[in-house]
Parts: sequence; C-alpha cells; structure tokens
Amino acid sequence: MTQTTLKAEGAALAAAPRRARRSPFQRKIFPYLLVAPAVIYLLGITLYPGVFAIYQSFFVVTFTGWVPNGVGNYVDLFQDDEFWAALWNTLVIGGISLTLQCAIALMLAFFAYRDPLIRGWRIIFLMPMLFMPSAVAFIWKLAFMDGRVISDLLMRVGLISENIDFLGVVWNARLTLIVADVWQWTPFLFIIFVAGLQAQDKEIEEAARLDGASWPAIFWNISLPLMRPVIAVAVILRGIDITTMFTNVFIMTQGTPGGTTETISYFIYRTGFRLFNFGYASAASAIMLILTIIIAQVLLKRFFRSGRA
Amino acid sequence: MAEIELRNISKKWGHFVGVKDVNLTISDEEFVVFLGPSGCGKTTTMRMIAGLEDPSGGEVVIDGEVVNEVDARDRDVAMVFQSYALYPNMTIYENIRFPLRMRRVPKEQHAALVQRAAEMVELGDYLERKPGALSGGQRQRAALARAVVRQPHVFLMDEPLSNLDAKLRTAMRVQLKHLQRQLKITTVYVTHDQVEAMTLADRIVIMDGGEIQQIGTPHEIYGDPANTFVAGFIGSPPMNLIAGHLEGGVFSAAGLRVEGLALEGSREAVLGVRPEDCHVNGAAGHLTGRIFGIEPTGDQTFVSLRSDDTLIEIRADRDFRAPLDSTAQISFDLDRLYFFDATSGERLR
Repeated sequence: MTQTTLKAEGAALAAAPRRARRSPFQRKIFPYLLVAPAVIYLLGITLYPGVFAIYQSFFVVTFTGWVPNGVGNYVDLFQDDEFWAALWNTLVIGGISLTLQCAIALMLAFFAYRDPLIRGWRIIFLMPMLFMPSAVAFIWKLAFMDGRVISDLLMRVGLISENIDFLGVVWNARLTLIVADVWQWTPFLFIIFVAGLQAQDKEIEEAARLDGASWPAIFWNISLPLMRPVIAVAVILRGIDITTMFTNVFIMTQGTPGGTTETISYFIYRTGFRLFNFGYASAASAIMLILTIIIAQVLLKRFFRSGRA
Repeated sequence: MAEIELRNISKKWGHFVGVKDVNLTISDEEFVVFLGPSGCGKTTTMRMIAGLEDPSGGEVVIDGEVVNEVDARDRDVAMVFQSYALYPNMTIYENIRFPLRMRRVPKEQHAALVQRAAEMVELGDYLERKPGALSGGQRQRAALARAVVRQPHVFLMDEPLSNLDAKLRTAMRVQLKHLQRQLKITTVYVTHDQVEAMTLADRIVIMDGGEIQQIGTPHEIYGDPANTFVAGFIGSPPMNLIAGHLEGGVFSAAGLRVEGLALEGSREAVLGVRPEDCHVNGAAGHLTGRIFGIEPTGDQTFVSLRSDDTLIEIRADRDFRAPLDSTAQISFDLDRLYFFDATSGERLR
C-alpha cells in the first residue's frame, strides 16, 4: 500500500510541472501532423495525377467510358513513328539547346565572376528568365516570321541576300526554338556557374597562375573539374525542364513543319487534347517520366562519383 | 639565382593604405622573413612580389628587371600558400607535375622530376592519393614539392606552417631551412610567429602598419631593436617597457632610478629591458617591487614583479623560490638597457 501511495505521489510530482507533456505516441506523431496539410496538398496535385495518369495509361479512354487495354497503349506507342519522331526532336532540339546554353553560360561565368560589379549586374542577367515564357515565345515568333525583324536585320547588315523562311524549314524551325530557349535560360545557368566559381578557393587559382597556367589552362584543368557537381545539378535541372519543353513549341511552331519540331510534351498534348486519346497520352507521359528519372539518376551518379576529391 | 628589389612599393585600396613606401633589397640565395602582426602588410608585400597584387606605386625588380607589368605566371616565382592550395581534383603526382606541364617541360622528364621533388619532402609513398586523403603535414609537404619541382627563381611562402600542430611545425621548420640551403633559392617567408622568424631567417623584415620597422639579422633584431614596436614584438616574454623621464644621464620612473647613462638632454623616455637582463635580489637594486606571480617552466622561472602600476617580467633561474607579495630588489645589466623616445618610439642612442 505504501508503495502505491509513493508511486501515485511520484506521478503527481512528475506530472505537475510538465502538464503540457504529451504521450510518447502523440509526441512522435505531432511533427507529422504539423506538415500534413502541406504534404497532402503537394501529393494531391503531384502524386495523385501521376498515379492517375499511369492508371489511365492501361485503358482506352473514350467519352462513353474506359475500356481496359492492358499494355496495348504502350505496344502501340513503340510502333508509332510520330512518337519516335517526337522523342528524336526533343533529343535534338533539347540537346543542342542545353549544350549551347551550358557552354555560353560557363564561358560568361568564367570571364565575369571575378568582377566585383557582377553582383550588381546579376539582376540584369536574370531578366530574360523573369519574363513570361509565352510572351517571350510570341516575341520570338514575330521576330522570326518571314521577312520580319531577324530576316530584315540580317539582310540589312548584308549577311543574307533574301528573306529566310525561319518557321517553314525543318532546321530553321528547330533553330528558332533553340535560340529562344538559349536566350531565356542561359542566365539561369550563368548565375549558378558564377556562384559555383565564386565559392571556389581563390588561392587554388592563384597557385595555378604561379605554376604557369594560362587562363584557359586554369579553366580546363582546375575550374571545370571542380565545377563538375555544380554543372551536373544545373544540367539535370535544365535537362528535365527541356525534355518537357512545351510553351515555345505550342506558340512558335506547333510542331510544324511536318512534325519536325514536335517535342514529346507537344506530342502528349496533341494526342490528349486534340485527338482526345487520353489513355495513349498517359502512356507516353509514363514513358517520359521513366526516361527522365533514369537519365537524371545516371547523370547524377556519374558526375558525383568522379567529382569527389 | 635571383635578387629581388622593392623600390618605394606601396599598395592602397581606396583610402586604406596596406603597404607604404617599402624599400628592400633581398640578395641572391637569401632567406628573408617578413614578420609582423596580422594586417601589417607583410602578405600584401609578398603578393606584390608574386604578381598576384598590383602595386599602387613603386617598382618590383627581380634580377634587375622591373616586373610590374610581367604577369604572375611569367615571373618564375613559386609560392606555398597557407591553405596549401593543392588541386583537389588531381592526385599528388598530378599536383606536383602541374607546373612542369604548364611550363612545357618535356614530358619524358616529368616522372623523374616529380619523384625527386617528392623524395626531397619525403612524400614518395603518397603520390597516387588525392589531397583530401592526406593529413595536414602531408599536404603541406605536397605543396612544398609542387613549389620546388621546377626549381623556381624565387620561393614565396605565406605562413606555410601555421596550420600544423606545434610538434610538426618544429620538425617542418628544420626541414624547410635545410631544403632552402640545399636548393639555394632566394626565399621570402611570411609569418606572424617570431620563433619561426628567428630560427629560419638570414634577415628579418619587421613590419607594422604597412611600413618596415626594422631590417636585420635575427641577432640584430633581438639585440638592437630600432624602436619600441620591434622591442615589444620580439622576445618571449617581450621586453619590459617602462615609461619615465630622462635627464642628465639619469632615468627615473616610479620606484626606479638608473644613473650614469651616456644619454644627453632632458626628455620623456621609455626604458626597455629584456627579462633575462634583470636580476632578482641584486644587492643594490635599480627597482623595488612586489612579486606578483611566479611561472616555472622547468629550465627557468619567469617572475612578474609589480612596481607601482607596471608589471615587469623577469627571467630567474630554475631554482628561484620566493613567497608571493614579498618585496624584491631588481638590478639591470646596465649595458643591456635600451632607451626610446616616448613620443616617436624611436631608439635613443
């Protein structure tokens, strides 16, 4: 009996000063409760549609109902020339565009990062990124139109002798998309690369200078290898973005001429919202998703493993 | 192989003066140490020799040629940085080879040269590792090997030992000196550690506030300081500086009187006396004080003595014993006293 009293007293003593204390279970669950609304919201607008799309990709969706189709959509996709063409177009346009903007941004960054004024300029470099993508696309479209700004300018400086049909010729049309993308997104990479270069140990560069290295030699032997992880992250971010390139295609070329500028995203859009073949479009999206994840994983692993000191 | 001359070198950033009218000639094969507190301009001066910093005025001359307009990479100067500045993406072998590659030394010679440099600093076993896998001492030696591999005209070292622990530092100090003697390369060494300066240098350049305070051999700097800054900076514990009045060959301060000095005139002055030139319990003391603290270090005992408001540090022998707060008489070695002008701090001779 004494023992129970003591115990009760002990409990009372322990409880008294910490009345707010929760049970262990509550304490464990509490943080999750706090983040739950945000997580549910995010999952609701990302995971749910994703899963829904994958589910839908196993059906033929018509206005009257869903007809189970197994992997039929996927089989069809792999035999669809338009799908392969879209994949190829994305690769060509995206690849060239990404390479160009990376190279330009790296060069600019390497020449500019030492400048103390660069901090002041930063916002100017960011400008193209801040403009609304669809507006930018429209401006480029107008500029590239037959006989308009760009043709006219090139003619006046004597680089060409007659109007160029930018949007009507395969590689010209691809070029317009590349130019627009490079223009808008080089600053993004530039900012990242400048930050990466500024974070590097200054003394390493000075040591290289005293060791007799010229600026290009420093760039190739020191800065570039040290930048690998930064470049990897930037390329992956941009790469994912570019594989889903849509706005410019939608506004500038709509896949013309002859589907040669139709990217995967535009293909999915066209199949889903023009041809109303939702199951098919969903299957294409699922393949895109898997491809993107695989490529990103491979890139990350390669760059980070060899980038480690 | 190289003589360095600085003519009226100065460096300003806006209104801030980092280095002010430095004149200095470093002769061939000499080991010169720039010594001073942080921010005294010693590193900036070295960086101007390297070409990493452009002087705001004056000329840097290497081997009789004004090199102000010569790029750092063409000055044939090698530098060891405080952070070592090894290239983290390369192995130690590649690190040491880098200067050879950049200076287009024929490829066939690379392996042998790198091997020789690595052996010089006892690093032969670590050539395949990357800097991240080495200890501080090993990185330090790798940086050294990278600097010696191409036999530069001039060696610059910016506090190369300051990131090492005390024991390693002592060991590396000996190695550095040996290496420099062996290679006979003109060397400029920057440090804020007076022990490094005293032990390594042929000549020490003491700097403060962007100006040279004194240039001399370690012996001269210690035994013949030019002003109160040098007197107070060199020596551990530093020289005692006691403010007082000098008149007709007599220096007097509170509780202190020294007679029979060869100094004329009447002025405010500062008396400087090193701890080892003071003797406790001398018969006819120059100064009386109370014992404030006793610090035995094993081979000797440091005694702090309080006289009026000044603390005076004295080196006594290892057997010194006395109760705290007891009164002690101090006598000075009269030929080892230094007097400085109270306002300018310059030595009175």
